[in-house]
Amino acid sequence: MIEVSGLIKRYGAFTAVKDLSFVVRPGEVLGLVGPNGAGKTTTLRSLAGIIPATAGTIRIAGQDLAADPVAAKRALAFFPDEPRLFDYLTVRQHLAFVGRIYGVANPEALAQPLLEELEIADKAEELPGALSRGMKQKLAIACGLLHSPAVMFFDEPLTGLDPLGIRRMKDSILKRARSGATVVLSSHLLSLLEEVCSHVLILKKGEKIADGTLAEVSARFANGEANVSLEEIFIRATGGTES
Amino acid sequence: MIGALFYLRVMSLRNAVVSRFRRLKQPKYLVGAIVGAGYVYFAFFRGFHTGRAAAHHGAYPGPVSLPPDLLPTVLALGALALLVIVLLGWILPDQRAGLTFSEAEIAFLFPAPVRRRTLIWYKLLNSQVAIMFTAAIITLVTGSWQFLGGNALTHGIGWWFILATLHLHFIGASFAMTRLMDQGITPWRRRFAVLGLIALVAVVTLAWLWRDLRAPQGSDFADFRTIADYLSTLLASGPLPWLLLPAKAVLGPYLAPDVPAFFLALGPALLVFVAHYAWVLRSEVSFEDASIAKSEKRAAKIAAVREGNWRAASGAIKARTPAFRLAATGRPEFAFLWKNLLSTFPVFRPRTFFGVALAVVAGCQWLGTMPGYRGALAAVGVVALLVAAYTLFLGPQLARQDLRSDLLNADILKTYPLRGWQVVLGELLTPVVLLSAILWLALGTVLLAFHPPGFQWLSPALRLALGAGLVPLVPVVCAMQLLVPNAAALVFPAWAQSMRNRSERGIEMLGQRLIFVAGQFLVILVALVPAALAAFALIFATQWLIGAVAAVAVAAVAVLVILIAEVWCGIWWLGQRFDKFDLSLELRP
Repeated sequence: MIEVSGLIKRYGAFTAVKDLSFVVRPGEVLGLVGPNGAGKTTTLRSLAGIIPATAGTIRIAGQDLAADPVAAKRALAFFPDEPRLFDYLTVRQHLAFVGRIYGVANPEALAQPLLEELEIADKAEELPGALSRGMKQKLAIACGLLHSPAVMFFDEPLTGLDPLGIRRMKDSILKRARSGATVVLSSHLLSLLEEVCSHVLILKKGEKIADGTLAEVSARFANGEANVSLEEIFIRATGGTES
Repeated sequence: MIGALFYLRVMSLRNAVVSRFRRLKQPKYLVGAIVGAGYVYFAFFRGFHTGRAAAHHGAYPGPVSLPPDLLPTVLALGALALLVIVLLGWILPDQRAGLTFSEAEIAFLFPAPVRRRTLIWYKLLNSQVAIMFTAAIITLVTGSWQFLGGNALTHGIGWWFILATLHLHFIGASFAMTRLMDQGITPWRRRFAVLGLIALVAVVTLAWLWRDLRAPQGSDFADFRTIADYLSTLLASGPLPWLLLPAKAVLGPYLAPDVPAFFLALGPALLVFVAHYAWVLRSEVSFEDASIAKSEKRAAKIAAVREGNWRAASGAIKARTPAFRLAATGRPEFAFLWKNLLSTFPVFRPRTFFGVALAVVAGCQWLGTMPGYRGALAAVGVVALLVAAYTLFLGPQLARQDLRSDLLNADILKTYPLRGWQVVLGELLTPVVLLSAILWLALGTVLLAFHPPGFQWLSPALRLALGAGLVPLVPVVCAMQLLVPNAAALVFPAWAQSMRNRSERGIEMLGQRLIFVAGQFLVILVALVPAALAAFALIFATQWLIGAVAAVAVAAVAVLVILIAEVWCGIWWLGQRFDKFDLSLELRP
């Protein structure tokens, strides 16, 4: 479960995220959407403990991220848009390293099924330099899933994936959510939100414009019209501009 | 079309210069530029001016000049060296000719209606900037080679002739070799042909020399002058003067002893240069495929260099076996040691350390028992002392398998369920282990091999006590040394980022690096003062009571405690800093 209350993130005089509050429950998939510069990535990075929030409270699986960051981080996984890997570690060595960092009891036993599920088992002894963009993404996902996180953050999860990879990624997110994980993802792809997300939160210039289930948000901006597309809802909600 | 390409080159150069000046508005570049300029002035120009002034006022007789009769020998030897370089250019390459273009140049120029010959001309024009710059730098660095005669300008132009002609020759040779490949001649067949030709010329030359010259005798090697005389005769005999003629022409302007001789040498040098230029422009071969492959490699290399990843840039990354097996459970800090050791060379393994240690002990013991080898033992001690000093002071700049290398992964490191100090400690472990191992070996060698006169008081027992004291001290001192550059990476990430990019050059980057090295020395000196004072006070106060050996041991413990406390404070503070570290904020322009 993710509980966010009064989250503010400032960079000097510039406020990137303004007084953001929301709750995501286990099994829910929240889609963060908004125009460029809306504060989606900043929000995700604050929630994952990568950057310190200026104000507000973030609770991850019941743990206060500011008060007990280690306990909160033990429950989460963050998947950046660009996979960040260590150049000198093979696929298997990545998993061994992450397993030790998270204190996973038997990482080798858990790693093999993960590699097979993500179809990179045959690349286990390869370095990241020998992997394609999609393979690297899969390795980053395997590293994130190794400690069975209760909360997952995906930043633009479909970047650089081929159609088959996109399908697998969607399935993977839904599978984790169905098994009780709490998922937040940010994406520009509205079709991804329609297919994967149970809830949506629209941001603009760091402020929450709307949140709720897809149906609730659609109803709010449909103005009584039937069959309004999510794209149209998004444009109406954000005013059709970045500013 | 040539006008457009010329415009591209000139504007690119102009904009590069303007942007370099503009960034001086940022303090980190301005301060770096001031320090760098000061260093260059004091290192190169000041000595040059003061030397001239002193010579002018008769303070000293001026630089030693090369005797005029030796000039032909020097010229012939230089030409021989140039000839060897040229021949290597015909033997070593195994790739098709590929002129180096940037990715943007390939994207814009290759599909454009530009003739291949024009592209070659453009590349030649492009290379001139780098060649002129290199010639200027070499002239500056070798400014004291005034014994060759000439002046800075003749030397600069001379270097340009050498570098530009060599550059043209290598391009022409690569085109010729590509043409051979197109005709089905493999690189190995070509190498055999070139080596065969060289062997043939060598045999003919030697036979000629054998007929005309006597074999060298012991008296020919009596002193420098007799060696020079014999070489002079040798290089002026048979076909050698003719073989070396083009290379001599290229070297002529550089080795001209005065201005009239320089102008006389310009003609032949220009003739060789123009001949090469015509050869290259007329040798049109298909270089596009190789250029694209080269450009992609270059782009990947630049990206790796910008991330500070020099081993990736050299394409040397290979999957390797870890130095030790990482257990599934245990302190997470050791996972960083395990990970970062994988990024070092495979030679850094415990078995290497113990093997070298065994060899050092056995070697020093053996040398110690041989009275005739005392000098060699002393030399080993001096070399080990130099290695230790070098490792201690410059090691932290070279062993960078810590936060400095991982800062770009800070996003991921910060999601780990670890306290900041744990990440910092874990990241520091690898360079600490590497530098400590080298220092232990070097200092151990010093203690075993160094027996200078007047140091008889350094008894074996005292040496043992010193060694035992140094074992725990070395890693702590290394950790302290490494804290400084790691703190710089976290406290001044923008500075550290620009310095990580070693492809960044210029006087301001030189200045930035000097500031960092000086800062590191200063911090270490300040940090060592309390420990050093405590050690001296303890040794002075206790050696009368408990003896020198015990006093050293007591002092070592005190120093260790003080240094550990300082290092721990540093790690804890850096951990706090890491917890609050916001890469996106820190690296904002």
